Amino acid sequence: SRRKRARARHKPCALKELEVSVSELGLGYESDETVLFRYCSGTCEAAVRSYDLSLKSMRSKRKIKKEKVRARPCCRPLAYDDDVSFLDAYNRYYTVNELSAKECGCV
Amino acid sequence: DEILRSLAGPPSPPGQDPQGWRVPVDCVRANELCAAEPGCSSRYRTLRQCLAGRDRNTMLANKECQAALEVLQESPLYDCRCKRGMKKELQCLQIYWSIHLGLTEGEEFYEASPYEPVTSRLSDIFRLASIFSGMDPATNSKSNHCLDAAKACNLNDNCKRLRSGYISTCSKEISATEHCSRRKCHKALRQFFDRVPSEYTYRLLFCSCKDQACAERRRQTIVPSKKNEDKEKPNCLDLRNTCRTDHLCRSRLADFHTNCQASFQSPTSCPGDNYQACLGSYAGLIAGFDMTPNYVDASTTSITISPWCSCKGSGNMEEECEKFLRDFTENPCLRNAIQAFGNGTDVNLSPKNPSPPVTAPPKVEKSPALPDDINDSNTMYDTSVITTCTSVQEHGSKLNKSKEQSLCYSETQLTTDIMPDQKTFMDREASGSRHRAGRILPFVPVLLLLLLL
Repeated sequence: SRRKRARARHKPCALKELEVSVSELGLGYESDETVLFRYCSGTCEAAVRSYDLSLKSMRSKRKIKKEKVRARPCCRPLAYDDDVSFLDAYNRYYTVNELSAKECGCV
Repeated sequence: DEILRSLAGPPSPPGQDPQGWRVPVDCVRANELCAAEPGCSSRYRTLRQCLAGRDRNTMLANKECQAALEVLQESPLYDCRCKRGMKKELQCLQIYWSIHLGLTEGEEFYEASPYEPVTSRLSDIFRLASIFSGMDPATNSKSNHCLDAAKACNLNDNCKRLRSGYISTCSKEISATEHCSRRKCHKALRQFFDRVPSEYTYRLLFCSCKDQACAERRRQTIVPSKKNEDKEKPNCLDLRNTCRTDHLCRSRLADFHTNCQASFQSPTSCPGDNYQACLGSYAGLIAGFDMTPNYVDASTTSITISPWCSCKGSGNMEEECEKFLRDFTENPCLRNAIQAFGNGTDVNLSPKNPSPPVTAPPKVEKSPALPDDINDSNTMYDTSVITTCTSVQEHGSKLNKSKEQSLCYSETQLTTDIMPDQKTFMDREASGSRHRAGRILPFVPVLLLLLLL
């Protein structure tokens, strides 16, 4: 199973989804309504560019010291899903935008 | 023989039953067929001019108008129908009423539906819904079916998108453009009910409840306006008159009356024991402008439905008003249909006479699996919702008084109290048979002709 976990960790960046209640989103809404939460997860090894390699090199050569830099591409949403509306526990409707990822990519 | 052939219309439509009677084509198509015949098209033009701004009696006083109507009764336009949510639905309904307003006596209590009869059954929905699971009514007795319905909708991209669409539009409270935002709200609601498969929409609308939280959620489904609640209810007959000035509202109301009219002969109290047809027309009436019916409260034991109106101030029309209102509030067909859906039951009818061939394929609704194709025409539709009334008004001159614009203005203007002068009273059964007679009668002269030939 360890090998399985290892393989899972090396899956390329992709869209995944989770069924969660609105309350669980942690946005302060109180509602039992279930929504589909889509997120981006996976590695971006294939997306490493010369930029990343050079940046890493600059850092190790201490040409870049204090700044915060990221020498690895990151798996993030490229686009967000449509609005999600729900009724809360007090019978009020709310609409949340850009809650869920629609498309993922290494950026 | 020649008459028959001409009746059948040019390129014989796909559905034609053995006797050679025309199966109703949709009115847009019928209009095309009519336009191809010089005789028909000129008469149709005449009739439309006759009807414009005139009532039936003054129209019929004119010989030319009368002749046009008689000729058109034998054209494909006469028995054409429309489909709910079809492309060019409004155009179709405009064509329908342009002929039928001249044919009916006008102010009838019940009008025949311009929509094609519904042949599908509730059981079809249950079958479809079971694919998505969770529909089993005998599951957890504690579960909130309305919450489950919301979950099922949220997990389907198409349902979620259109639900969010109407919720965000309808829950926005803008006082300045009150009418316009309501107009947009109704449009978004209509899109939801027309474009989302009924296994999702009915579950939200007709879920069965055991506690008040569930029933309140059910009542909130269509986002009833909060502003309404402290305003005085308008008179139901005024509301009906307003509705009848609009082709879409008028059609949906007529459809509701056709499919949900309580009949006392059948065990279900529904015409043709068809629950699906009644629920469909009920859902169709939602966002039929101010005629939108809803649950009056969050009661779990009794289901009471009503549009936002009362019979106060009906004057000598009180009886008619009560009768109109009772078709919502005390309608055993509607109530049984809602309960049957909630219980997951349907009437099992042995198909003695197979349903007549319908020109259109049985509603094959796309119930897109995840992920949904978002680049379809829906996106276009969505942007059209966003188009604000104000922007239409700004560009009004360019758009040459577009539909949307006139709708935005009209809401208050139309509510002017047009008291119906004379109304025909009919009891339910009599009107029911009248409807049927209305459909058969026009064929009588043809039958006689055939006998003579």
